[in-house]
Amino acid sequence: MKTIAVIFGGRSAEHDVSIVTALASIIKPLELTKKYRVEAVYIAKNGAWYWDDRLKDIALFASGKIRQLVDKTSPASIQFDGGLTLIKSGSGLTGRKQQLKIDIVFPAMHGTYGEDGALMGLLDMAGVAYVGCGVSAAAIAMDKVLAKQLASANNIPVSNFLAFSKTELTDQLSTAVKAITNGLEFPLFVKPSHLGSSIGISRVSNELELRNGLEVAVHYDSSVIVEEAVGNLIEVTLPIMGNDQPIPALLEQPMTLPDDFFDFQTKYMQGGKKGKGKASAKGAQGYSKIPADLPKDVYAQAEAVGIQVYKALGCSGISRVDMLIDSVTKQVFFNEVNPLPGGLYAHNWAQAGISGVNLVQQLIGYAEERHAARQALTTTFSTNYLQQF
Amino acid sequence: MNVIVNELVTQYSLTGDGKLIVLLHGWGDNARGLANLNAQLSKNYRVVALDLPGFGGTQSPPGVWDLDDYADFVHDFMTKLGLDQTFALIGHSNGGAIAIRGCALSLLKPAKLILLAASGIRTSHSPRRLFLVIVAKVGRIATVWLPGRYRQALRARLYGAVGSDLLVVEPLQATFKKIVRHDVQADAAGLALPTLLIYAENDQAVPVEAGRRYHELIKSSLFEIVKDAGHFVHLDQPAQVQQLIEEFLAT
Repeated sequence: MKTIAVIFGGRSAEHDVSIVTALASIIKPLELTKKYRVEAVYIAKNGAWYWDDRLKDIALFASGKIRQLVDKTSPASIQFDGGLTLIKSGSGLTGRKQQLKIDIVFPAMHGTYGEDGALMGLLDMAGVAYVGCGVSAAAIAMDKVLAKQLASANNIPVSNFLAFSKTELTDQLSTAVKAITNGLEFPLFVKPSHLGSSIGISRVSNELELRNGLEVAVHYDSSVIVEEAVGNLIEVTLPIMGNDQPIPALLEQPMTLPDDFFDFQTKYMQGGKKGKGKASAKGAQGYSKIPADLPKDVYAQAEAVGIQVYKALGCSGISRVDMLIDSVTKQVFFNEVNPLPGGLYAHNWAQAGISGVNLVQQLIGYAEERHAARQALTTTFSTNYLQQF
Repeated sequence: MNVIVNELVTQYSLTGDGKLIVLLHGWGDNARGLANLNAQLSKNYRVVALDLPGFGGTQSPPGVWDLDDYADFVHDFMTKLGLDQTFALIGHSNGGAIAIRGCALSLLKPAKLILLAASGIRTSHSPRRLFLVIVAKVGRIATVWLPGRYRQALRARLYGAVGSDLLVVEPLQATFKKIVRHDVQADAAGLALPTLLIYAENDQAVPVEAGRRYHELIKSSLFEIVKDAGHFVHLDQPAQVQQLIEEFLAT
């Protein structure tokens, strides 16, 4: 029986969302398969790692008792021994040190230090198989500027945008504002380049709002993107899985008000209560239409853009591509990629005919496939280099 | 939406068109607590609602704040957004106390003021206040022998059980203590603007007597008591509160 470590929590604004993804959409279905030994590894907000079976219980987090567990338990450590081994000191008087070799890691992290390639780098160093995107795809996906530049370079349509560093916005704000007002048309979105979950995003319609929005964005990030809002907007998102031959789920249309966009509260804290779709499903983003209500040609175009983006960024395992559609001109624009969709977007996959249990098993399969392919690459070989000295 | 005000990330919403209405929520609450009212009012007015520092999506104050700091902050927030000429200021509970103080200091200059179960009358001899002081002192002594984390948890439960807001937002304990010591009756007495006072019949936190007192102090005030409602009067009897507010704004 293979051992899978599900890693969640982390030093991220989306810490709490990660807990729900891990417990509800990953650990539970993995255990239902009865094919794997599943270990819960929780990274607290201060960055300490904990490995404990009690961490599989959502009530521990919901009740706030997690704080007591963290207070009383020694953090776990990991050992790089040609693979990855979890280690923790024993509990009680006779407690012995425990250790366990991990076969596959299932990262369930959202946002910084997890979804952005940081954790993937650590897992690559350990040489262990893991689910989802690798370092470069994750890092590019979580950088809105890089992702848009890369999409543009691959002739994938994106709305007009400008990117600025924090220094440019603090030292030469007026120059930046001038460049924006000359080069782009209001309304605009101002976004920190690296954060997910709508944190720090402003929709601005005039120069005062623009200046305020830029100030908010640099409060969160060292790089900021300013982009034109798409008119007659239909937002869609497409979960995709696979390695070389990506499989799309169904195009999903979150039900937002015309002039609104999800902020953190609406997206995650409220459970979403906007709109009433016919075939509505309650996911991480609240109610949405699955499949999106689009003319056939537009649906096909959006699906194609999604797959194109997935390939261009070099995604593997699973990702979700967000797109913006102008319903009048029927243009589809790439917006952003989420390397680990909240709750794996299991609600969408379920409607596409793939159950939560099948989903996690397929993702484990892709992780093993990619790991095997990487192992087959030549990275070391014998030389006589040292003998010269 | 967010805006940086005095270096604090501040979450707010700005909806609707028309004359400007500002909403201030109470202690332990946030702008969403007034969402129903906001949605109704923004059909005919431009409504701005912010999460006050330490609540909802707004960062906590950098130190111990008092009512003046909160009133200052609301003023600076409005300036930052370029919002002037406030038609009406609506404050619930502690938001009402901030509104009174802000008007008295001329930091906030609405044409009309609406106070929903507003606090700010700190009669130190009221039986309830005396009771809470005793509970706090007994609670502190009775739990002193416990390790820190258990002591804090037990005190939170004790205070919650007797209806004290002290530990509702733990990091703001010192700020809370400072605020509940600040009586705004003298400020209220100086107010000359049309004011609507809405208090709830069954409010345990801020009883009807507080409204009656404000009614005596504020010359041009109307006083309404809503039946079958508690401290969150706008949630308990939304239609009635809505109607009272709209009539007051229309006159």
